[in-house]
Amino acid sequence: MSARYGMVIDLDRCTGCGSCMVACAAENNVPALPQASARTGLTPILVYRASNGMEGNARRETFIPIMCMHCEHETPCVKVCPQQAVEVDKATGIVMQMPQRCLGCRYCMTACPYHARYFNWWDPSWPAGMEKSLNPGVAVRMRGVVEKCNLCHSRLHAAQEKAAATGKREIDPADYLPACVEACPTGAIRFGNLADASDPVSQEARSPQAFRLLARIGTEPKVYYKSKEPWVKALAESNPARSSEVQHG
Amino acid sequence: MASAVLTDSRWIARGAERTSLPRFLLWLAPWAALLVVGIYAAGLCLYYGLNQTNMDNRFAFGLWIFLDLGIIALGAGAFFTGFLVYILKRAELKPILNTAVVVGFICYSGAIAILMIDVGQPLRAWFTFWHPNTHSMLTEVTFCLSCYLLVLCLEYIPILLRNRQLRRLPSFLIFEHQLHKLVPVLAAVGALLSFFHQGSLGGLYGVLRGRPFAFREGFLIWPSTFFLFILSAIASGPSFLMLVTAAVEKVTGRRLVSQEVFRRLALISGVLLGIYVAAKSIDTLIWLNITSRSVGFAPWQFYMHKPFGTPILFAEIVLFGLLPAFLLTFRATATRRAWLLSAAALACAGVLLNRFVLTVQTLALPTLPFDDFLQYTPSWQEVASFAGVIAYGVIVYSLSYRYLPMFASKGDDTHVSGN
Amino acid sequence: MFPGIDGFHWTFGHILFLSLFFAVALTILFTITSAIRRTARDFRTHRAIDFCWHSDFAELPEADRRCRHELAGRVISRTCDNAFDCRHCEKYSQFAVLPATGNVSALGLDYSEDRYYHRGHTWVKPEEDGTVTIGLGELAKHLIGTPDSVKMPEIGDAIELNQAAWRMKKNGKEIRVRAPIEGTIVGIGGPQEGWYVKIRPRLDLKEPATLRHLLRGAEVRGWLGREMERLQLQLRAPNTPPTLADGGVLLPDLMNAVPDADWDTVLADTFLEP
Repeated sequence: MSARYGMVIDLDRCTGCGSCMVACAAENNVPALPQASARTGLTPILVYRASNGMEGNARRETFIPIMCMHCEHETPCVKVCPQQAVEVDKATGIVMQMPQRCLGCRYCMTACPYHARYFNWWDPSWPAGMEKSLNPGVAVRMRGVVEKCNLCHSRLHAAQEKAAATGKREIDPADYLPACVEACPTGAIRFGNLADASDPVSQEARSPQAFRLLARIGTEPKVYYKSKEPWVKALAESNPARSSEVQHG
Repeated sequence: MASAVLTDSRWIARGAERTSLPRFLLWLAPWAALLVVGIYAAGLCLYYGLNQTNMDNRFAFGLWIFLDLGIIALGAGAFFTGFLVYILKRAELKPILNTAVVVGFICYSGAIAILMIDVGQPLRAWFTFWHPNTHSMLTEVTFCLSCYLLVLCLEYIPILLRNRQLRRLPSFLIFEHQLHKLVPVLAAVGALLSFFHQGSLGGLYGVLRGRPFAFREGFLIWPSTFFLFILSAIASGPSFLMLVTAAVEKVTGRRLVSQEVFRRLALISGVLLGIYVAAKSIDTLIWLNITSRSVGFAPWQFYMHKPFGTPILFAEIVLFGLLPAFLLTFRATATRRAWLLSAAALACAGVLLNRFVLTVQTLALPTLPFDDFLQYTPSWQEVASFAGVIAYGVIVYSLSYRYLPMFASKGDDTHVSGN
Repeated sequence: MFPGIDGFHWTFGHILFLSLFFAVALTILFTITSAIRRTARDFRTHRAIDFCWHSDFAELPEADRRCRHELAGRVISRTCDNAFDCRHCEKYSQFAVLPATGNVSALGLDYSEDRYYHRGHTWVKPEEDGTVTIGLGELAKHLIGTPDSVKMPEIGDAIELNQAAWRMKKNGKEIRVRAPIEGTIVGIGGPQEGWYVKIRPRLDLKEPATLRHLLRGAEVRGWLGREMERLQLQLRAPNTPPTLADGGVLLPDLMNAVPDADWDTVLADTFLEP
């Protein structure tokens, strides 16, 4: 009865507000580093902005949140980690990262085609007083290790403890929601168990409008996107040769 | 024959003419200074963290990894010469054997030193041995590199123990003799280890499914880059030895090896380089037309971004591959050292370019459809650390040349000019 | 790496990889322990001693390896290929050794006929009680003069042929005086007596081969002549051409008299150091 947690992100609803990024940072004790840049910052979820490449009235833009895709098949990062600091959790399908075992060699970052992995270039630090807002359920990572989205695994733990406290074996799905899902004001990010056919998210993922990024590589990511705009799907399935305007949220 | 005020003649083999100690220290001084700067830069990275470099989340591998792969490839002359001399019994390469061992030692110890700074948590390096992931090429690299460095140390020890003063201790003398008798075993083990890790370094990139620029099909679990890296390493190793020996001859003003040795090295390097170019060309065609197409890439798409256009591919295969292969094997150039050395330099540059393309260019290219082509310039700490490694190499070799019998004949190096 | 470690999953790949790795690691370990064990074994047997001298001999310049028979004029030119081990020289029977005749005197130095001379400038004098005395040759004494310090062996110590009998230090240079014959120390002579040791030889003095490797009688003249010639060239003032001796007296303490000479080389050639 193992779960396969995944997401469906409705790109037509994403406004690029960035609440998901803020909620993720708050939930996962991401260090507040003013010296970090767009390329050295730690953003387990990152909102990209893409356009159809046209100008004037024909221009269309969309926002695309990218996080770890929790690849199911031949997971690139799992295969390449020299000390097995990453593995696919059989019970949940979540790709788990062990920061305590990570050497910081960054081979997994090279392997991930979604650029979903981030390195701790600095020691974690917060402005004075902000440490009071840290989440006690999530360990802080040290400098020199890689981290990424783990579908707020601490919240899964909390849901399991709550279920165990009342003697139940299964968690109540309403108790386990990653921070970004909870924070999204438009409900663009939806979370559910893809292995459960009755789960509405699972059904959405199997609808014809749903697509995945870099599906041709064959890693079976568990984060789906959907959009009614045909140019978005075409963009997602095209190759990076297309020059397009890109900004990071 | 007046003795200088400052002299170390006791440590120099009798009959071997070496420059005076003050002049030698003067030669070492700038390299020592460079080494100090390198150690300082490395210290900054260890103390403050890798934010001292210009690497980032998109360029997770940078200058260090590129140069590490480069010097490991160039240091392949060590195992290959040992293999040729001890396993294939090609005794004509014996004069170059000590240089090969010392150069190999320098290259591998330098590479591992840089790797220790490059990882985020160096003290966890032993985790790879305790929790090995046999699916990962990097595990294989870690195991093989550590073992091979040990082998190189064991091969260096007999050379070290032949120092005039050290050999006066009977235990050192006998130990050197006994270890030297077992060197063929070490050469065989070294050849096996080197075969695997040179290949695995190529395999690091060939298995990256998410990077179609680097991804290759291959034989069983080994992508074609595994075999191409081995070929390019053994092709460039002898060339690099030629360059090092020529440089040493230039600095010391002595003819240390015969032209015949140069010619042999050139021939070996040229033939292997030719085979490599053929294999690489076939591999490139397969990759462009079959492998990449299957994930939707048209061949020209990888080369759309300046400055990494198709000229780079041309340079790698023709200018730095086919041309030096031809020059190194062509009979008319066999007697002209200048031609051989230029060809050797081109061959080494070709290997470095190949490593650059696979490390830096792979990361620069976008993978997501709405993503950018990125640039990266190394920081001064990265450059200085590596310059420190080069300084370390020059110092180790200079000390070895001065105090140890590096070139087989007993102290009768003939004079060429001046010095 | 081992079963029971949390999260480690054994697969066929692991078994293959780790067995290969351990095979390689064991081979490397075997190599180094083998070398150490063989070294220890060489020291327990006599092989270490022999090897040390053979190795040193091989490193000597060719001019220091002339066969004694060339020095004695019996053969035009020959390089010793047996580390001066005339006891076990196959070619020895070809060169009949004439008995010693009379004292040899080179430049007034006393090289009497009752002694046997070693190429490392020591002499062996058999005594009536079956012991032998080993002393420093005259030429060597003139080179060193009064040593700054001397490290003599203890009574009861064993000395080996061609290894150190005793060590001397002068002007910062260390001189290893090679033993001309193997045996056990039964007496030591100090500075007053001119530095010597008395030993009970390990081999039987009545056997002709025991002292065969040492020079005697007329042979010594040829050898000393070469040594003097070498010293003349090595101790002359720098950048001067070789000159004929004009009858000057050999100074008693050459290391102090000619401090600028290349004493590393002079002492190495004299006392057979590589």
